[in-house]
Amino acid sequence: MSISLKAKVMSNQPVGPEIFLLTLEAPAIADAARPGQFVMLRVSPGPDPLLARPFSIHGVEGGKLLILYQVKGKGTKLLAQARPGSELLVWGPLGRGFDLAAERPALVAGGMGIAPLAFAAERLEERGAAFDAFYGLASKEAFIAWDSVSGDGAFFLEDWGWNGASEDGSVGLHGLVTEPLRTRLEQDGERPGAVLACGPLPMLKAVALLCAEFEVACQTSLEAPMACGVGACLGCAIPSVGGGYLRACQEGPVMDASLVDWKKI
Amino acid sequence: MSPAANMAVFVGGVRLANPVLAASGTFGYGREYSPYLEPGAIGGLVTKGVSLEPRVGNPPPRIVETACGMLNAIGLANVGLEEFLAHKLPWLSEQPGAVVVNLYGESVAEFAELARRLGAEPGVDALELNVSCPNVKEGGMAFGCHPGAVGEVTAAAVAEAQGKPVWVKLTPNVTDLAPMALAAAQAGAQAVSLINTLLAMAIDPKTRRPKLANVVGGLSGPAIKPVGLRMVWQVAGALKAEHPGVDVVGLGGIMSGTDAAEYLIAGAKAVQVGTASFTDPTAAGRIAAELAAYCAGQEVSAAELAGSLRI
Repeated sequence: MSISLKAKVMSNQPVGPEIFLLTLEAPAIADAARPGQFVMLRVSPGPDPLLARPFSIHGVEGGKLLILYQVKGKGTKLLAQARPGSELLVWGPLGRGFDLAAERPALVAGGMGIAPLAFAAERLEERGAAFDAFYGLASKEAFIAWDSVSGDGAFFLEDWGWNGASEDGSVGLHGLVTEPLRTRLEQDGERPGAVLACGPLPMLKAVALLCAEFEVACQTSLEAPMACGVGACLGCAIPSVGGGYLRACQEGPVMDASLVDWKKI
Repeated sequence: MSPAANMAVFVGGVRLANPVLAASGTFGYGREYSPYLEPGAIGGLVTKGVSLEPRVGNPPPRIVETACGMLNAIGLANVGLEEFLAHKLPWLSEQPGAVVVNLYGESVAEFAELARRLGAEPGVDALELNVSCPNVKEGGMAFGCHPGAVGEVTAAAVAEAQGKPVWVKLTPNVTDLAPMALAAAQAGAQAVSLINTLLAMAIDPKTRRPKLANVVGGLSGPAIKPVGLRMVWQVAGALKAEHPGVDVVGLGGIMSGTDAAEYLIAGAKAVQVGTASFTDPTAAGRIAAELAAYCAGQEVSAAELAGSLRI
């Protein structure tokens, strides 16, 4: 059940260049949240900017909800100014998350796509499930500290054996994240039960293509301009195979890659 | 503390427990918002526009935020009449509050057929004809820009609606709205709803491309409230002179109880809350409560507030 509440900002700290970790006190949402789901968040109470923004849930800690975000436009710039103790309107958790039931899934994150997949990794860890994890970024500087971010609940990526790839070779493998994924898929023996991916659209397309080639199920987390988050405005249309559209907020944001018309998106 | 105000209104042939309705296209088929509203918090809702056949809608991007507003070009995506009757209306019928079904046809005959089928449903309290959508090629706004066409569509729907009240939702994208409202009234409409969105566009200067795939779309949100107020005042005045039994349902940028009060003062008998629900899923219920508090503070009933503008 989704709920709407005014959540108190516990902390809102930079964890990388233009990247912030927001911690909200929102027990009812945190308790219900599953990896891959999102919340709608109003960055300011006034009429401008008017609309709430969708944010992936990065994790939960007790009754606290963690949001990892990059300052990109007017809304996130305002959000970065939110002070501890202030309140923000938030509703959720919303949408379909990742299906974590697959045997030894492979997690593939690109850039800010780490936000929901770190949450997925945490849940897999908790249940002692084996998985592989791949994390691609432009460069080491482009993202939160590669080995550790202390305090405030950011995740220790190194501990979970994320296989890194960077476009400039400054961290991990020199190249795109799809390269170590391909290597994994080509390995003899057991293939991943599913690939769980979140990141920029070109990466998602490449991952979807790769999974189709190796006949591995692929769950992609998609985004689209969205007004309501609850299935009413029909703004967040994702072209679907066979014509028509799927709503990123209801049928997604995590969609089976085989349902998405990647040519039209 | 002032005693509670009487918020019940009788508008367009429908009795509402309070004058706040959720607007078509912003509230889905009601269930989408059920986690966020207490049952009975609002007077009722107007459904997403229903057409005879399902419609997939326009290609994305379909929405874009603008200063104090947003543009949409959804293209009347909807599940179609059969799915609506089978899977949307039954749940809606069980909820407290009025059910007004917004319907959309590409021809007079389609409007008539929709009115016939929906008019026969006990769970439907009124029909709202969409002759004002700016985002479709056929029908839509084309019907709403000529008094003759408004009258023809309205008369056809009224004739088939089996006594169900017919409301007509009007577009602001005309030189003078009063003749459209009068034509609807003359043809038997019991209320007119206004305003639908204002035809508008947004451009990305970096790419020189329109921000909507449809190029143009409808502007909604607090940016349009002054336009809506002016049009409600003008239309209410025109109707009062010629068709005093026909009501105005006001909408356009209502974000608070006092915004709703302003529409009532301008001459609306009830209001619809639209884009506000996107910005806060509890908005419609909150606005109804705020309006009730305003009326209590002013020691006036909702019905008395309607048309009480002092000039």
